[in-house]
Amino acid sequence: MQESPPTATRASAPTTKTAVIGAGIEIAGDVSASADLSINGKISGSIVQSSHDVDIAESGKVKANISARVVKVAGEVEGNLAGSEKVFISKTGRVQGNIVSPRVQLEDGAIFRGSIDMDPAKVVKPAAPAPAKKTTESSRVATSAGSSSAGPDSKASGNGTGPMHAKVTGGKEPGLTLKSG
Amino acid sequence: MSTVATQIDGDEPASAPLRGLAQQPSKLFPSLFRSLATDERLTILEVGSALPETVDFFSRYKCRIHFVDLFAEPLMQNLHRVSGPEEMRQEFEKLLKFPDGTKLDICLLWDFLCYLDDAALRAFNNALRPYVSRRTRVHGYGIHHLAIRLENKQYGILEEDTLSVRKRRVKQPKTHPHTQVEMREMLSCFDFERGLLLPDGKLELLLKARNNIENG
Repeated sequence: MQESPPTATRASAPTTKTAVIGAGIEIAGDVSASADLSINGKISGSIVQSSHDVDIAESGKVKANISARVVKVAGEVEGNLAGSEKVFISKTGRVQGNIVSPRVQLEDGAIFRGSIDMDPAKVVKPAAPAPAKKTTESSRVATSAGSSSAGPDSKASGNGTGPMHAKVTGGKEPGLTLKSG
Repeated sequence: MSTVATQIDGDEPASAPLRGLAQQPSKLFPSLFRSLATDERLTILEVGSALPETVDFFSRYKCRIHFVDLFAEPLMQNLHRVSGPEEMRQEFEKLLKFPDGTKLDICLLWDFLCYLDDAALRAFNNALRPYVSRRTRVHGYGIHHLAIRLENKQYGILEEDTLSVRKRRVKQPKTHPHTQVEMREMLSCFDFERGLLLPDGKLELLLKARNNIENG
């Protein structure tokens, strides 16, 4: 039986892959994805971007601007959100920053502080993620939950019990580009 | 039909608890929008917390909404500790820090003015002044004597003529009643356009920018 990594990849649709930053993963730097991106860990940088969707789970904490087609927040974000299609903050979501998106939806219980710009003319289209092959240096990744993969194309070394380095390489599959800050 | 029961699109369900929200009709609220060219981009200040129904309501307009939850600010529990008018103005200026050139079309103050003493009312007015233009309109509530019980409620917008009302989670600040004459004197940016005495004794207020405010 083939053993699958716990959080490395998760197919959300037959044709779409989701890159997952697992709980316990901390990334200091920028993140760029050419697939849907699910963030369960922590990111601290200047930008997180995807040409698809970005989903910040309840355990996810992001201190960076986020740009994507759809941005969903169930965790914590300190930064600006640009959703070319939609931004959704669920009841557990906490956002401090400004939102630009044609459509914004808050769930009862969501905590938001900042401004919401719903002028479609001002929508910031997410930039196309940088090619993964341009990654120039390894990103510092600290793990505490044994989750050792930052994304579907990541190659990580380490035993899951302490700091390790994840080298992200590109390929034909959608994946992540990490750029350390 | 309440807009909150409507899904923005098919992939997210409308928030179920919103359907049970208490509602309050408003006769003056629709007037806020009548004089505005709503096909133009609106700039709105909401001094309460961001509520789903309010965001949903404004999603039909091209707009920027600034959510500044002044009710939750420590300043509101410590007004008496602020030493003087200048310090008070600076405190409000820190809270009302908008991008350069911002001019507000609509200010949603709800019952915020009821929690400001004389000095705070003047300071709030002065801090807001840079963002007030001839187009600025204000909706809020006032109380003119202490016998009127002000409940610790927060408001949202369901429709132009229907507000949502829910219990506010933060501690209620001390209330400071003002007569209309007092408010007119202290809110020097605004004139009273309309006032409506509500059954619970509150005064629903519609304010507009004074003539001496420059067009922005």
